[in-house]
Amino acid sequence: MKIMRKAALVLAAVPAIVFITPVGTASAHGYVSSPASRAAQCAQGALGNSCGQARYEPQSAEGPKGLMNCSGANSAFRELDNDALPWKVHNTGSSLTLTWTFTARHVTRDYEYFINGTRVGYVSGNNAQPSNPTTHTINLGGFSGRQKLYAIWNIGDTVNAFYSCIDLNINGGGGTTPPPTTTTTRPTTTTTPPTSTTQQPPAGGTWAANTSYAAGSTVTYGGSTYRCRQAHTSLTGWEPPNAAALWEKI
Amino acid sequence: MKRLVIAVAVLALAGCGGEAVVPEGQQAHGHGASSAAPPVPGASARFNDADVMFVQMMVDHLQLGISLSQVGLAKATSQEAKDLAGAIDVTQREELTMLKSWLKLWDKPEGDGASLHAAHGGQPLLDDKVINEAKEKSGAEFDMNFLNLMTGHQGAGVEMALAEKKDGMNPETTAYADRVVTTRQGQISQMLKIISGS
Repeated sequence: MKIMRKAALVLAAVPAIVFITPVGTASAHGYVSSPASRAAQCAQGALGNSCGQARYEPQSAEGPKGLMNCSGANSAFRELDNDALPWKVHNTGSSLTLTWTFTARHVTRDYEYFINGTRVGYVSGNNAQPSNPTTHTINLGGFSGRQKLYAIWNIGDTVNAFYSCIDLNINGGGGTTPPPTTTTTRPTTTTTPPTSTTQQPPAGGTWAANTSYAAGSTVTYGGSTYRCRQAHTSLTGWEPPNAAALWEKI
Repeated sequence: MKRLVIAVAVLALAGCGGEAVVPEGQQAHGHGASSAAPPVPGASARFNDADVMFVQMMVDHLQLGISLSQVGLAKATSQEAKDLAGAIDVTQREELTMLKSWLKLWDKPEGDGASLHAAHGGQPLLDDKVINEAKEKSGAEFDMNFLNLMTGHQGAGVEMALAEKKDGMNPETTAYADRVVTTRQGQISQMLKIISGS
């Protein structure tokens, strides 16, 4: 009788365990935002649609600890491993300061930085939640020229880590061209890029994305005229009919 | 025929478990009751557990974003950061009003953030402590920390919206999730360009 009751308890406990398990895997995560890692460049839209899931979730290149790649061996992020994509290369001296952006603050074992199999940086996480902002300065030592830096955030309470790759040109000389395996070369222009990609709107013109609008300015959209209620840089999804908080129909 | 309908109903109950319909009379877009077929519930009235979870979590998420925006509005030094804080503030207030009305329609509580996060395995980026610590910084350091926190926070919103697009069924809610993905991506793109100086 007692055994029966125990069995019933055990059986009753089984579905309970199923329910306790969080719905979906724990949302994460993090990536290096400065200098712009490959994932950050994807989220900026710098590579258009060639980024796969990293366009939406730069923070989610998650995989088991101990890997040496840019995607966490996560197939949805495999584009991050593709050295042939036109990644922007960051020019740096031997000392490099990096900033992480987190979407969730996992308890952290440590951060590791590797170039060519050599660990060039290590910062303990003290098994605590990361501070804001989390910024590290590492010494790139004897490395020079074009290098790929692996930045790894090892989580304290899971088996996983988050992977970020940053393309560097250390102490000049390496050029910003991709490795010699590629056939395309970039023009070596001396013109400096514009400091901002936002444009000034033509007065009373048609609404456009990525445009800086001052409060009070007017635009047309879909045959109607709207007045800007709040200064902002426009973006897709903030079209005047979809953002009454930003645009008043007049 | 009747048996088939019952079988389908039983399967639906046993299988999904989460689907629900707002009772007739409380629907936002209830179709006129016809004598023959049972009334088709208005689109806004059909929802499942994923829709409710997403909307409840977004209510908390939007409120945290608004709190951080307020700090940004008060302390940001660059006009770019200040404008973004202002735009996020007003657009998210608008979204918050809409989502709260949906929960009311569905007769679901707003829930409290802490237990929602605990139930879904999250360790959210923002809480009152983190937002208060942000206030302690000033100048360029404040701007960078603010933009960094907002980038992460909005990124978590994209993750939630992608889950809703996959599992939700309410058309208004999934359309809102689409808009969250698009607008947050745009904001994140703007902020990352400032953060990395590119």
